[in-house]
Amino acid sequence: MKRFNIKLFILLGLVLALPFSCKNDFLDVTPNGSLDANILATKDGVNSLLIGAYGMVDGVSSQGFGWEAASSNWVYGSIRGLEANKGTDSGDQPDINPIQTYSESSTNPYLNVKWGSIYEGISRCNQALTVLKAAEERGTITTDDATSFRLQAQTLRGYYHFEAWRTWQKIPYVDETTDLTVITNNDDVTGKILADLQAGTALPNNMVQIGRFNGTVARVLYAKALMQMNHDYAKAQVELQWVVDNGTAPDGHAIGLDAKYGDIFDAANRNGKEAIYTVQYSVNDGSGGWNGGWGEVLNFPYKGNNGSPGGCCGFFQPSYDLVNSFKTANGLPLLDNSYTNDPLADDKGLTIDQPFTPDSRPVDPRLDWTVGRRSIPYLDWGPHTGQDWVRDQSYAGPYSPKKQVYKKAQAGQLTEVGNWTSGWTANGYRLIRYADVLLLLAECQIQTGDLEGARANINLIRARAANPDGFVKNDDGTNAANYQISEYPAGAPFDNKDNAMKALMMERKLELGMEGHRYFDLQRWGKVQEELNRALAFEKTKLNVLYGSATVGAEDVNFPVPQAQIDLTQGRISQNR
Amino acid sequence: MKRFSLLSLLTLLFALSATVAFAQRSVSGTVTSASDNSPLIGATILVKGTDSGTITDVDGSYSVRVTGNDAILVISYTGYESQEISVGTQATVNAQLTESATSLSEVVVTGYSAQQKKDLTGAVGVVNTDDLKQIPSSNINSQLQGRVSGVTVSGDGRPGSVAKVRIRGFASLTGENDPLYVVDGVPTTDISTLNPNDVENISILKDAGAASIYGARAANGVVLITTKKGQNKGVKVSYDMYVGTQNPSVGNLQLLNTKEYADLQWLVYKNDQLNGTIDANNDGVLDSETHPIYGSSANASPTIPAWAGDTDWFKEITRNAMIQNHDVSLSGGNDYARFYAGLNYFDQDGIVVTNFAKRYSARLNSEYKVGKGHLTFGENLTVTGRTANGVVGNGDEGSPISRVYMSQPIIPVIIETPVQGISHNFVAGEYGGTGIASRTGNTPNIYADLQRNAEDRQKDIRLLGSIYGDIKLMDGLNFRSTFGGTYINGYNTDWTGATYERAENQATSSYNENAYFGADWIWTNTLTFDKTFGLNRLLAVAGYEANEYSIGRSLTATKAGYFSTEPAFRTVTNGASITGAGSGFNTPIRLLSSFLRADYSFNNRYYLSATVRRDGASNFGEDYRYGVFPSVSAAVRVSDMIQADFLTDMKIRGGYGTMGNQRAVSAFNQYNTFGGDPGTSYYALGGSTSSSDQGFRPTFIGNPDSKWETQITTNVGFDATLMDGKLQMTFDWYKKESKDLLYPRQVDATWGGASQAYINIASMKNTGVDLQLEYRTDITNDLSLDASLTFTTYKNEITKITDNIDYFGAGGSRIGGFNRNAVGHSMSEFFGYQVLGLFQSQAEVDGAPTQDGAEAGFFRYLDATGPGPDGEIGTADDTADGVINGDDRVFFGNPNPDFTYGLNLGLTWKNIDLSTFFFGSQGNEIFNYNKWWIDFWPSFQNQKSHDLLYNSWTPSNTNTNVPKASNKSNFSNNTQSVSYYVEDGSFFRMKNIQLGYTFPTDAIGRIGLSKARIYVQGVNLFTATKYSGIDPDVNNGGDTAFGVDFGNYPLVKQFIFGLNVSF
Repeated sequence: MKRFNIKLFILLGLVLALPFSCKNDFLDVTPNGSLDANILATKDGVNSLLIGAYGMVDGVSSQGFGWEAASSNWVYGSIRGLEANKGTDSGDQPDINPIQTYSESSTNPYLNVKWGSIYEGISRCNQALTVLKAAEERGTITTDDATSFRLQAQTLRGYYHFEAWRTWQKIPYVDETTDLTVITNNDDVTGKILADLQAGTALPNNMVQIGRFNGTVARVLYAKALMQMNHDYAKAQVELQWVVDNGTAPDGHAIGLDAKYGDIFDAANRNGKEAIYTVQYSVNDGSGGWNGGWGEVLNFPYKGNNGSPGGCCGFFQPSYDLVNSFKTANGLPLLDNSYTNDPLADDKGLTIDQPFTPDSRPVDPRLDWTVGRRSIPYLDWGPHTGQDWVRDQSYAGPYSPKKQVYKKAQAGQLTEVGNWTSGWTANGYRLIRYADVLLLLAECQIQTGDLEGARANINLIRARAANPDGFVKNDDGTNAANYQISEYPAGAPFDNKDNAMKALMMERKLELGMEGHRYFDLQRWGKVQEELNRALAFEKTKLNVLYGSATVGAEDVNFPVPQAQIDLTQGRISQNR
Repeated sequence: MKRFSLLSLLTLLFALSATVAFAQRSVSGTVTSASDNSPLIGATILVKGTDSGTITDVDGSYSVRVTGNDAILVISYTGYESQEISVGTQATVNAQLTESATSLSEVVVTGYSAQQKKDLTGAVGVVNTDDLKQIPSSNINSQLQGRVSGVTVSGDGRPGSVAKVRIRGFASLTGENDPLYVVDGVPTTDISTLNPNDVENISILKDAGAASIYGARAANGVVLITTKKGQNKGVKVSYDMYVGTQNPSVGNLQLLNTKEYADLQWLVYKNDQLNGTIDANNDGVLDSETHPIYGSSANASPTIPAWAGDTDWFKEITRNAMIQNHDVSLSGGNDYARFYAGLNYFDQDGIVVTNFAKRYSARLNSEYKVGKGHLTFGENLTVTGRTANGVVGNGDEGSPISRVYMSQPIIPVIIETPVQGISHNFVAGEYGGTGIASRTGNTPNIYADLQRNAEDRQKDIRLLGSIYGDIKLMDGLNFRSTFGGTYINGYNTDWTGATYERAENQATSSYNENAYFGADWIWTNTLTFDKTFGLNRLLAVAGYEANEYSIGRSLTATKAGYFSTEPAFRTVTNGASITGAGSGFNTPIRLLSSFLRADYSFNNRYYLSATVRRDGASNFGEDYRYGVFPSVSAAVRVSDMIQADFLTDMKIRGGYGTMGNQRAVSAFNQYNTFGGDPGTSYYALGGSTSSSDQGFRPTFIGNPDSKWETQITTNVGFDATLMDGKLQMTFDWYKKESKDLLYPRQVDATWGGASQAYINIASMKNTGVDLQLEYRTDITNDLSLDASLTFTTYKNEITKITDNIDYFGAGGSRIGGFNRNAVGHSMSEFFGYQVLGLFQSQAEVDGAPTQDGAEAGFFRYLDATGPGPDGEIGTADDTADGVINGDDRVFFGNPNPDFTYGLNLGLTWKNIDLSTFFFGSQGNEIFNYNKWWIDFWPSFQNQKSHDLLYNSWTPSNTNTNVPKASNKSNFSNNTQSVSYYVEDGSFFRMKNIQLGYTFPTDAIGRIGLSKARIYVQGVNLFTATKYSGIDPDVNNGGDTAFGVDFGNYPLVKQFIFGLNVSF
């Protein structure tokens, strides 16, 4: 062996030793830029998790829950309820096509996104409750705060579960103690949903912040769940009457009917007198539109920004059936469904250059706050010009949505700027509004035999709609159409329960049109198949390409459980049909 | 007690190989290479007619005992011509061997050391870097296509885009299947900043025998790249350049012109009975519509308005584009110092207007020897600056090529005839757009968008380099320490201009700037022992390594509302309202590793190699942090044992071992985290319309028990040299089994939407063969031929995904994803309804299984019910149930090729050289999603195909596969993934043909040049394929969703002139 250099070996030894000297902690790397549960186990931490749980009330989140999951239910409540069709052209968002033709399969991606969104909301509630418990154990939260947070989280959880129940009925119930690895949807969960919502009725009315659930909100949700799931109208009536007598909005302001029907949907009046709970949308807040009504962003007239609002995408076009329902005779709706005879004139097939005269027959004034139709002033955007506001009239008809649309004067202030459409707005979805509560109360009254009480409540709503100051007006101050509406006189149809229900059902359709309730109302009334097949027959005469051979079957009273959830649980979660 | 050690074994072997004889004396000498006088290590010295012999040591010297004066020494060395020398009375016999025609003596860089090709035991692909440069590209990835067997490469024509490289199929379900690149000892996943001209050699480690020394990061194979060093005599200057043009003519896209498009609307009216002949709703009025452009559908033919254009959008947005590259290199040195310096400028315009990428790079490598050569140190460094204006990439419907399939021809690019549009009053000179009239679709004016974005820039500067020191501790024992890493700093600007011409306008301009830096470092220390004992040679490397990567931060801000659209005015500050701001703080990953490798050979005949590596990684929990990855490989040179004239050299190899992978796992995989951002968890609790309250949500559910993915590879192969070295052949068969593959924990939605940790659950296997042939011959004295063929196959099969799922879908489109990754199938297969044909009549519909939307002229699907969710058909429980639903979906296509191949042919005649290179891919299928846009009327009011107008089903044209043109959109036409879209994607492409002339040395010597060559070249001159899309080399989508054509940015014809000079 040749000589070797001692110095070099010493150097080598030093070099070799270096990396090992820090070996113990070299591989301990903790995450940058995130939080852990320990940091959050304080009052402020729990509150921030609760805000996260409220963050799903709109149904959407940039983590993959888009317009498929909108809590305004424009797809599942309105389109499925045939108040509207998908709109736009037939290839756009084609997954809605089978939903509107009652032929959706369990693999329809819309259903899976909706399911995921709801359970994300539930999961956030449960996480808040888990961390709340840790905060309590550590003494970093007062008992009062803890109670308030707990009740809010429970009410929210009840709301999300109820949303799942009315969409699928066969659903798993998840709370903070549930073992998720063995979960099924075999049990009757209505009791647990009701328990969560009932707990929330202990919340005070004044929560200071308008975006929190209060005792009033909890009572309405509790009553709706009692009616929908248990048909327990007597119990629901007590809660609803309490709301009418004592209820307030979450920030404590008094509630009631807005004087003018059209004001309800004004973005500037989103937390007005009518609003019991409005989902709080915010724009230009750095969310890129995700907090600005992402769920409804497609639902603006088609066309540019210069002449019509939004700029995209022509979805959610009111149906012929809805529009013609507004026809009146002696100021009252045609409860025998004869409104489909000799439909109102429309401009389908006409270019904007061809003349069109709107129908001069009497209609309910709420029509022109609910539906955009040719020649009628569209808020402050000027008259609806017809074909150019609609992507393909021959496919989806001539009508445009209107209720969520912002005014031209509000553009840029109450809408998101710098994105591909201006259809992100602060015009939050009116999740619960006063007229809805009055009509729910009237429904309970009919079911419990108080027909006169029901008539009185329905007439409150009709009287408001009849306020001539609230009619859609032309520039010259004249009424935009022949508006005729009156209150129900004593006697028929409030002379027997069935007729009274007919009036109630029609009133909900007219008052709450395009607000996401219709399909779930029909579900509660057991009328899904009968009523929708009737309306479908009429609609097919107008839009035969769109509806084709659609028919409503007995299974269409809810939606199939997403196949993906069945697969992921290896069948523990099972199909509902 | 005496230990049985390796050394004693070696001694024993040495003793056995020597023969004791009388009257012996010692002869010694050195064996060198005739070409460069370098010592030949391991050359065999045999005394002819005896068993006596030895091999040369690291200095090329030997000593052997001979008897008498008649002894003849046979000196041989694989890759060189053997020599017989009579010893006579000499005591010193030096020999110079001449290289044979084979390349077996080529030095191949392997893990942490270098070997000669003849000594390899693992599967190592050696790349001829001169061949690579034949393809004009800024990056090596693209140039690798077809050049080495076992490597599958797919690329596209975007300037600066980096081709996808996969070695022997896939090793991971997570899409983390990029090979590890090691550039001068520095591991990286990105070599796009490397100038191909600076590369000395590339070797590709394909199996565990070769690659497991890189343990934790080796599972996808390792590409070792060594950059050039200076030579130790004199100074050499070279200038290489090429300049050329890229021609976008890629054939007819079969799209409609304005008149044809209007005719198609009339066909749709007729098919849907909206042409004024039928009264479907019985209201006494014949059904018709007044089309906003073409007039009443009851008219005999459509009218075309005065403002109508007749735009060929592909033509409008493409151009003949320039490409140029200039390399200046300077290299030189003496016995103590060597340097190589290279400067590069690469500039490529895209065929899409405004699209370009430029790169400037500088390379500086130097090496110094101190004292008597005991200490060597040096550095390698490349600094690269890039600037580009990119376009939206493949796989996104916003890409300009994809938009070509969506833009109606009636829309003028620039308005000539003023028109009162629906969203704007257009005057001459303004951009045309969908705002002109209803029913013109919703596609932006591509040309206008490209012009508005012309000033967008993506810039970065990247450093990649290392410094090293090498100490010779004693004869055959070296210690080497290398510290290296990369640093990148980037800055991007992105303008989104307000529009007026669209039906759906961008109301407000917005502007984004983002900046980032990233870094990684590695410190490697190795001890190398390289010693020859008689006929035995031992090369051993032991080392340890510390590595940290994914270090970095980023910052982004977007504002909207710009007073002016002037590029000089574009700053975030100048925007009116903020629409987004954020920063990222990467969590780095650290690795700590030690490894040992030993290569032993006996008499250049028997080889045994073993490696073991132990890795620790910070992204695993404490209990599962370390993994050990061993491998063993062996080879035997059989050509020494069998006598066959045609066989010059043959070695059979085999190897078995494991490699690891942890790249899928994020740095926080073991932790539960919470977080939030405005888009996911903020809520305006207080009712503000313009701000939201900060809220949090669970963002990650961790798993502390995740551990390494393991790949077990088996490789058997041989290297053969035949016909006196004219033909060389390398063949490998491999099996790669991946177990404990990481896959995100699959949970149902009740777990919430937080991301889930990766768990070790899945498995997969790949098998295949790699074959490489090389043939060289001199046909006449002046004419020589050089041909090489590479052949690559892999068969990939997923064997498990998780306990609760056996498939997952991937990809996305307007109608969902098309790819399904399922157990029993390979990655990314196409899944959906199998089209049997078109319904020909209502009677056929009535007699067929119930199918939503079925009618004459629409698809009839296979009723395949019976199989499980994997959709396997042809099994015993197949029973048609008379209903077409989700259960009837099947696998109907596979984007994985049966094989790919490259063929290189070169002819040299005197000073003229002609070469051509072909690449082919066979048996891969393509899901042509563009057909969804153009073959179905209701897939938006966008451009449509010739097929839909001229070849679609009508009651009188029934012998077709193109469905009826109808405005109905349903299950039976365009809402599902169906086999209609699948096409054979096989292709055979002439990638290169080049004709060069080298000036005679004596002629150029007078002007001081040592070499001068000029050439002309054609690239991608022809492609043979049945595929109807724009380019069959479809490479978007990642490994779980590839093979779907969204309007690929094509590789196009290039015509190049080039020059190489040295002096």
